[in-house]
Amino acid sequence: MDDIETQGMDRRRFLTVLGVTGAGTAALSGCSTGRVEKLIPYLVQSEDQVPGIATIYASTCTECAAGCGVHVRTREGRAVKLEGNPAHPVNQGRLCARGQAGLQALYNPGRVRSPRARQADGTFKDITWDEAIATLASKAAEAGGKLAVISGAGAGTFSTLLADWTGALGGRVVRYEPFDHEPVRAANRQVFGLDSLPTYDFARARYILSFGADFLETWLTPIEQQRGFAESHGYRGGEMAKHVYLAPRMSLTGMNADEWHAIAPGTEAPLALAMAQVIMAERSGAPEDANALRGVLSGYDPEKVANEIGLTAEQIRRLAREFASAQPGLAVAGGIGSQHRGAAEVCAAVNILNYVAGNVGVTVRFGAGLPTADGYAAMAALIRQMAAGEIAAVLVHDANPAYALPRSAGFAEAFAKVPFKVSTATMLDETAALADLLVPQSHALERWDDLHPREGVRGLMQPVMEPVYGTWAAGDILLKTAQQAGGALARFAAPSWESHLKAAWQEIGRAAGAKDLQMWWVETLAAGGLYAEAPAPMPVRLAATASQVAGAKPEFDGDGAFVFSAYPTSMLFDGRGTNKPWLLENPDPVTKITWQSWIEVHPDTAADLDVREGEILRVVSPHGAIEAPVYVYPGVRRDLLAAPMGYGHTQYGDYATGRGANALDLLGAPGEAAFVPYLSTRVSVEKTRRYQKVAKTEGRNRQLGRGIAEAMGLPAARKGLTPEAAHHEEAGGAAHEINTERELKAIAGFAEEQHEAATKGNYLGEHPQWGMAIDLSRCTGCSACVTACYAENNIPWVGEADVLRGREMSWMRIERYYEGGQDGEPLEVRFVPMLCQHCGNAPCEPVCPVYAAYHTPDGLNGQVYNRCVGTRYCSNNCPYKVRYFNWYAYSKRAFPEPLNLQLNPDVTVRARGVMEKCTFCVQRIRGAQNLAKLEDRPLRDGDVVTACAQACPSGAIVFGDRMDPESRVTRAAADHRGYHVLEDINVRPAITYLAKVRHPVEA
Amino acid sequence: MRKLVFVLGGALILVLAAVALSRDAQASRQAAPAANDSLLAPVLSASDTGRLKGPTQPIFFRHDIHAGQFKINCQYCHYSVSVSSEPGIPSMATCMNCHLVIGGTDSTAQREIKKVRDASNNKQPVEWVRVHYLARHAHFPHMRHVKVMGPNACGTCHGDVARMPQVFQVNNVRNMGFCINCHLERGVSRDCSVCHY
Repeated sequence: MDDIETQGMDRRRFLTVLGVTGAGTAALSGCSTGRVEKLIPYLVQSEDQVPGIATIYASTCTECAAGCGVHVRTREGRAVKLEGNPAHPVNQGRLCARGQAGLQALYNPGRVRSPRARQADGTFKDITWDEAIATLASKAAEAGGKLAVISGAGAGTFSTLLADWTGALGGRVVRYEPFDHEPVRAANRQVFGLDSLPTYDFARARYILSFGADFLETWLTPIEQQRGFAESHGYRGGEMAKHVYLAPRMSLTGMNADEWHAIAPGTEAPLALAMAQVIMAERSGAPEDANALRGVLSGYDPEKVANEIGLTAEQIRRLAREFASAQPGLAVAGGIGSQHRGAAEVCAAVNILNYVAGNVGVTVRFGAGLPTADGYAAMAALIRQMAAGEIAAVLVHDANPAYALPRSAGFAEAFAKVPFKVSTATMLDETAALADLLVPQSHALERWDDLHPREGVRGLMQPVMEPVYGTWAAGDILLKTAQQAGGALARFAAPSWESHLKAAWQEIGRAAGAKDLQMWWVETLAAGGLYAEAPAPMPVRLAATASQVAGAKPEFDGDGAFVFSAYPTSMLFDGRGTNKPWLLENPDPVTKITWQSWIEVHPDTAADLDVREGEILRVVSPHGAIEAPVYVYPGVRRDLLAAPMGYGHTQYGDYATGRGANALDLLGAPGEAAFVPYLSTRVSVEKTRRYQKVAKTEGRNRQLGRGIAEAMGLPAARKGLTPEAAHHEEAGGAAHEINTERELKAIAGFAEEQHEAATKGNYLGEHPQWGMAIDLSRCTGCSACVTACYAENNIPWVGEADVLRGREMSWMRIERYYEGGQDGEPLEVRFVPMLCQHCGNAPCEPVCPVYAAYHTPDGLNGQVYNRCVGTRYCSNNCPYKVRYFNWYAYSKRAFPEPLNLQLNPDVTVRARGVMEKCTFCVQRIRGAQNLAKLEDRPLRDGDVVTACAQACPSGAIVFGDRMDPESRVTRAAADHRGYHVLEDINVRPAITYLAKVRHPVEA
Repeated sequence: MRKLVFVLGGALILVLAAVALSRDAQASRQAAPAANDSLLAPVLSASDTGRLKGPTQPIFFRHDIHAGQFKINCQYCHYSVSVSSEPGIPSMATCMNCHLVIGGTDSTAQREIKKVRDASNNKQPVEWVRVHYLARHAHFPHMRHVKVMGPNACGTCHGDVARMPQVFQVNNVRNMGFCINCHLERGVSRDCSVCHY
């Protein structure tokens, strides 16, 4: 500062000069714009919309089968954000990235906008609904018993109507989901004699063993499970559960494990049986009837199977003992990591493991499982019938089998032989593109509907806005068709789908004992559905067939050098997320890759093959080949290659089409199997000598001693050590002084000066000091917060080309660091949500020549867009790299009509040339302050919840006023595990991280 | 030559700016709160609107008759001003609450009221020309200002609308200086992030 003043020019004077020169142009352009804004009133004021105030409707998420409750925030008649419904028992106010991105399905520019019919030349032509219904009615009546319906697994009033409607014609419904947990059901039939899915209580479990079940990302009900996992595995009061992940590939769930064992593909069943054998041999307390298993288990002595699995017998014994002694434990299987041909055997073996350890009925409860689809066998039968010409008409609803089935299953060819094909798809997906008639259904936010995801939970959906396009609810399509067709369908006489649904709910209301049905309906609708207590778990005994479990190693097709695993990612799932730019831009939590598909290769394998990251590899199986760039990943076995599903769409809108390679192309037809095995082929690789830069947001994946993601062992945490003290102790005590005397002296004067400046003018008096605490022992890296931030703050996605230039705009990002994994050390992964730290002594502020970056009295690091001139000095000076420059008018490209309708009107849409960053959701702070002022009260703790904290399924993020000694954030930040990232540079961040706690590493 | 143009241009701008400033100053003096006695609105025909200040509206809606002569509370039409950042503009149904019955006394009024009735009957809302608007990066919470300054403080920014046959901008609300002056006088926050986010 001194030398600037001696030159007689300070920043303000510099600007004053600049301002006068600039005024001429401003005045000229300012006067001559002639912009006219229009104010268009409502015809009749809507009762539940006040301009400027959000109206919230309860609804149910349809992005996966879990059926989470959502709150839809609407402004002036359009949905602007999806949030979790706190009253809903499944997700309790949280929502994952995929659920939140449901908004981009609603406003997707690629939606089918009206009914369309295929013409003679093969193209589609827009038709009216009357024409569409007439065609549908005549064709359906004509087809009669030769009608087939392919639908998703969702259960509710509509699925009942669909089944009745199809049944009335004599046709049949095949419900197909790519991940329908058929192996789990098959195992439950065999071991317990129950044909259903259980619920798993992760919150109660003290020891979690996952045999390739990715329960934090795609398996069953991810949010509920993640919440439970954070409850049990998050560190609290000296205790935390232990999580062991057993699979050939480390998924996001595996990254959150205390131990990961890369067992050989297909050896989960012998491992689980060996552990059961150890427990039976060493402990009493297994249920009486488990003794019947002793015979079969005796074949699985750890010594006998250890070699094949890739563990030592001692490791198996240790895992078994730990599992049995931590009561209750929980072992889960049936996820993608073990979905090979022997998946049902794995699940059966794990059932037995749970049973002998006494977990069934405690953490594994039957009686309220998810609805499941019909399995692949029903689909295979339908494909055969279609190919044989036995089907006259097919209606496809909420399913995309032309993409989701391996090409070798022959769906597309068989489907093409059907004379009349109808699709209700909202987007022109691969199946719809083959259809003869498109009758686009309305999005879940535009229609009445319900979902019955499990016993005791019925979620309602209501139209929160006018349909974006001229689409109909699928229920209306069925009913109108029935009225047109008459005959067998004449009994479906409800005038509309809405009245049909409401009549069904009247029955539900009567059954629930409602006195005033009208009142009951209003209350139920406001709550988002009807939630009863979960039914008491069914008593479960071993079935006679239980002792027939076998642990034979499954077959893999082909004779390549590598086993191939195709897996659903937490963003794109089975490929239904690929049409949503939020999910493409939000980096895959494991690899941090955006917009591209990839092939995971172990570092040693990569060295053997002499390939490096970005080299395009051709992977060949007996069924097909794909080409994708290599991503070198230490979390796969040396003999395994893995690729994400969800890419390689040939239809499904502009964002998805032609993006990446479809991993399903490598899989063989499941044949007569009841499920599709996603880990069933051996592949060989060919080098293409081509190269593609990988669009990943990861910089260095090692911390290099920077202390960004801190962790400590459980013993150190129990002693109440700080992360630094824990380091010293765990490293054997080498002391490391951060603040030497010289450094302290240098910053002392500066800090004083800053403090003095902070007590003048605007900064005088009492203000809140906003702050955040993030508990890394709860954070799983799932990235729900990232999408929440995009949605709340109108952040534009930048696309592949700009991600490659490092210009992604994610105000909040999840950094992922590896520890160990080299020289035989176990691989450990740590996640750190990184956002603006709102430093009390921020390096970005003094370098801004125009005071656009400045400190607000309430402790925010403010960024005034209209002041910013885009020098980018602040970003250069930010040690956390959390300031993002708007290089192009990204928002114009990111929000084409009708995606622009999702913009949050409370937040400025930034123009080109402006620096932007996390604001701590200042619009929510101001909103809460305004509301408190209206109500003549001070702000209370919890009034302000940032978008990231609201979405976080683990509840890892706490936001509040650090000046309030009683606030949750103050108490959380006072924890002994608290630390600041890059503390030694004295920037005084407002964000306190609580170090991760891990179980001590065992051999 | 080019230099000369610049100098002349600059001088012209300065003159224009000075004129604009003095007009603003006069206007704010005019807008001093008037004693709210009986305000009989003058009879004007719709053809007069071109000579009146402010943008011509699709319907010659007279604030001086509604808010002035008949003393209808501002919040009868601008219904959400005390609860929301947006003041709200009346729906066509709100207009028809009265104009279902009131058809106007002179020919101008009758003609203009017919336009309202037609708009409502044809379900074609009137597209008013906006007079006061802020840049998109500035947020103005109306409710907070009404809460602190009272329900009759509208004129502080909007001028004495009750005397305006056609609404015009009395204060340049798009100029941040106008906001800041008031905030300075009242000793309330001047923190940027209170409005800019």
